[in-house]
Amino acid sequence: MRKRGNTMLLGIDVGGTFTDAVVISNAKILAQAKYATTHGDLMEGMLAALDLVLSGIDTSQIQRVALSTTIVTNTVVEGKTDKVALVLMPGPGLDIAKMVPQEPYIISGYVDHRGREVARPDESEIKVVCRKAEKIANFAVVGKFAVRNPAIEQAVAAMIRQYVAPAYITIGSEISGSLNFWRRTNSAYYNSAVWRQFGIFATAVNQALTVRGITAPVYVLKADGGTLPLDTARNYPVEAIFTGPAASVLGIMALAAPEGEAVSLDIGGTTTDIALWRDGVPLFAERGAVINGYPTAVRSFWLSSVGIGGDSLVRRQGGVLAVGPSREGPPMAVGGPKPTVSDAMIVAGIASFGDHAKAVAAMAQLAEGEQDVKLIAKEVLQVAAGKITTAIGDMLAAKAAEPVERVADIISSNTIQPNLVVGVGGAAAGIAPLVAAQLGVKVKVPKGATVANAVGAAVAKPTLAVTFRADTEERYFTVAELGLQDKLENKRVSLNDAEILAKKYLAERAAQAGIGVGKMETVYAEEFNLVRGFQTVGKIITCQQQIKPGVFTDVAIEEGE
Amino acid sequence: MQAKPLGLVFFPAFDWAISPTHPEREERLLYTRDQLVEEGLLDIPGIKEYKPRLAKIADAERVHIGVPDIASLITDAHLVSAGGAITAAEAVVSGDVERAFALVRPPGHHAMRVVHGTRGFCTINIEAIMIEYLRRQRGIGRVAIVDTDVHHGDGTQDIFYHDPDTLFISFHQDGRTLYPGTGFTDEAGGPRAFGTTINLPLPPGTTDEGMHYILDNLVLPILADFAPDLIINSAGQDNHYSDPLAGMAVTAQGYARLADKLKADIAVLEGGYSIEDALPYVNTGIILAMAGLDYRRVVEPDIARAPKSIARNTAYIEKLVRQQMGLWQNRFSLSRQACTKAGDYWQRQRHIYYDDSSISEQQLERVRVCTKCHGFITVESQSNGDYQGDYKSIFAAIIPREPCAACRQQAKDAALLAKTQGQFQHYIIQDKENDFVERL
Repeated sequence: MRKRGNTMLLGIDVGGTFTDAVVISNAKILAQAKYATTHGDLMEGMLAALDLVLSGIDTSQIQRVALSTTIVTNTVVEGKTDKVALVLMPGPGLDIAKMVPQEPYIISGYVDHRGREVARPDESEIKVVCRKAEKIANFAVVGKFAVRNPAIEQAVAAMIRQYVAPAYITIGSEISGSLNFWRRTNSAYYNSAVWRQFGIFATAVNQALTVRGITAPVYVLKADGGTLPLDTARNYPVEAIFTGPAASVLGIMALAAPEGEAVSLDIGGTTTDIALWRDGVPLFAERGAVINGYPTAVRSFWLSSVGIGGDSLVRRQGGVLAVGPSREGPPMAVGGPKPTVSDAMIVAGIASFGDHAKAVAAMAQLAEGEQDVKLIAKEVLQVAAGKITTAIGDMLAAKAAEPVERVADIISSNTIQPNLVVGVGGAAAGIAPLVAAQLGVKVKVPKGATVANAVGAAVAKPTLAVTFRADTEERYFTVAELGLQDKLENKRVSLNDAEILAKKYLAERAAQAGIGVGKMETVYAEEFNLVRGFQTVGKIITCQQQIKPGVFTDVAIEEGE
Repeated sequence: MQAKPLGLVFFPAFDWAISPTHPEREERLLYTRDQLVEEGLLDIPGIKEYKPRLAKIADAERVHIGVPDIASLITDAHLVSAGGAITAAEAVVSGDVERAFALVRPPGHHAMRVVHGTRGFCTINIEAIMIEYLRRQRGIGRVAIVDTDVHHGDGTQDIFYHDPDTLFISFHQDGRTLYPGTGFTDEAGGPRAFGTTINLPLPPGTTDEGMHYILDNLVLPILADFAPDLIINSAGQDNHYSDPLAGMAVTAQGYARLADKLKADIAVLEGGYSIEDALPYVNTGIILAMAGLDYRRVVEPDIARAPKSIARNTAYIEKLVRQQMGLWQNRFSLSRQACTKAGDYWQRQRHIYYDDSSISEQQLERVRVCTKCHGFITVESQSNGDYQGDYKSIFAAIIPREPCAACRQQAKDAALLAKTQGQFQHYIIQDKENDFVERL
């Protein structure tokens, strides 16, 4: 960012229903626009929103463009994925051949848990695979424990290139430096399966922006709330899945970052996404996102979704008020067929849109006898809030029940006790305060909460991670994400040294990706002494560093905006 | 991917060691953790991971008599590993899962009823604590324990030696060749529980073939006969051909097929110190087998060095099976004979060695041969520590779970009398009927 005063950030969020665009300047929303998402061709709605938001803006002042898009999600959901030649080196263990999205080619060769090559890949097998997969454009190569010796996957990829010329080969260890062969396999498969579609999209975005005179760098949001330059993201498209909820969480960070322990709610049309926060940062999912039922290594925020939103159907079941998770159309106030949560909000005086009389009629349908419509509206909102409160309770319980590896972590329990509820989204004003009251904590519903996603995309910082692992007995170290394995010069490397080295390689990876390093943080660190025959013979040290996800600027919404 | 619901308590205690270079050190389950995580086993639908609870001191004192008490002999890690076993058992008994595996440390099967310190890496017996918890809290009655650790499960044997409702079967490397030097065929249970302790000392070099011969021809038929409410596997993994502390020749496939056939309701990890070459594969094999998944591809990289069966061993094992099957089939008449021979009281004098704590214990155990209940037990125990002249002694009287009035009264009288005579430092009554420990 150069001169802060003139900084203009453009954020676009392609959501399930609406495409939102915002321009942020001086930590304020300068312009915002909304357009119905065009599902057949996402570009159409995106460009419409873009043109709306840019009217009257000097596009040469835009310093940065960031997109949160459903392109990857849509490609998967709509079955537009490409066939992938999935080449696996599973070594000994669980047979995952039937647990992955596409029938794999199993080849020999593997490394063990220390990264030692136990069996070499067999070139004649790879030749056979290439003949069978001749017509397949994209490959993915994944080996068990290859994060501890990326050379084995690279060697297989090189052999493949001798026989065929795939458009892209996803290497498992580049996608994730963490253990979990099954998840890396699923990630690598999806990465190759959406690679072409994402490339088409990226090219179209670049062209559209150029036509509009925008020369600023373009970023896409990832599921972990960080951004990647669009051109770097072409090779890691799977990271750009499920960015909507991530954008929303970042929007909350920009609009009203909660201090201490908190819970945030994005209450939309049909669902509420819940996130837990500690020290102003949302918690990450322990292992990774699930795509189409397949667990992957894609890092994402830990979100729980409950079927409560403004359009949620309200009815009586056996005399008892029931809310959601189904939706049977928009609120009655705007011509919908059945009573909804939004109708209750209108009657309760929390929202004002549509035909007030129709909202009253909706509540009257639910009233028992002469019950006052305002009372019934309040009851509806309490029931809706109750379902969210229950879901929050489940998340807190799951957090407390998370398995740990150390005695100390059992003795000091790992619980979260939120002291604040932050609500964004269309129905937040009506429901978030009730959830907070049920939990007995404070509430904050920031202004601008309805465009939180686009704001989140606009201000999201780039992120990247590396996993540095040193094995001083075997005298080597790896940085899986960089495909690096090298001799360890210093046999006496400490955890502290490992942290310094991890930061160095993270900076290197950031430079390759064309992003600044920003603030780095340790995601994970462990150190073990290796003892053989009652002698300490070395150490295994692992240190995972990341560029901390976050926002460039807090965004304040002034009264009346 | 259809897994039968398996509960898994994985607690590697990465911050706990007996000493920095001891086999029970932080590193022990590191490579197992790496393998389980790399395989994605914790992501498989149907494998449900649980965080271990902390066992209470009272859970341990339901089983053990600590000298002077349990709290001063253990660390928090022991309560986590015992709690992990309880968590696994609760998951099964509550119907949440079909089976469960407590992959926890520190281990427990060398810990006996009376505890002066740590022996064979064990301080409190996590399976016994789990079983007595289930009996007290969940009304479980008959339990069978199959101890597949390479070392004789002498602690578990000691705790249930007079309990005819607990069948204890241990196969292990012959005590003449390995710690703790016990577990011979003549250790078959107290007179009232004769035959419900079954020891199968195996020659060094015993292979998958030998282990499965015993399983098919002795262990499984006896289990079917005993018809327990629960089968517990003390799942030590040191019969593996690569174990540095023992000399057997079992493979990961051997262990996985054992888990598949045994169909234990709850497995609890015990020993196993080939931390790189065996544990990652054996544990993966056991988990897959217990979850009803295909384990055939779980093969050690160095499988070529697994020794083959020796004809001499095969002949010995076949003979052992015949002999022990005979004992099982005649156990009721043998029990009557043992009762007659013992008279009113059965007693034994023992020397017990605590290798990890450098302690030597002298113990006199007496059991009343009672026709109405399991009989009350008294234990006179004295120990000498190493060079610091530490001396500890205790007199304990144990009232069984469902005592007759006479045994209840006589146990109390014996403790009060001992206290009056004043030859010990501590006097304790462990009342299993009321789940209560009284210090006099």
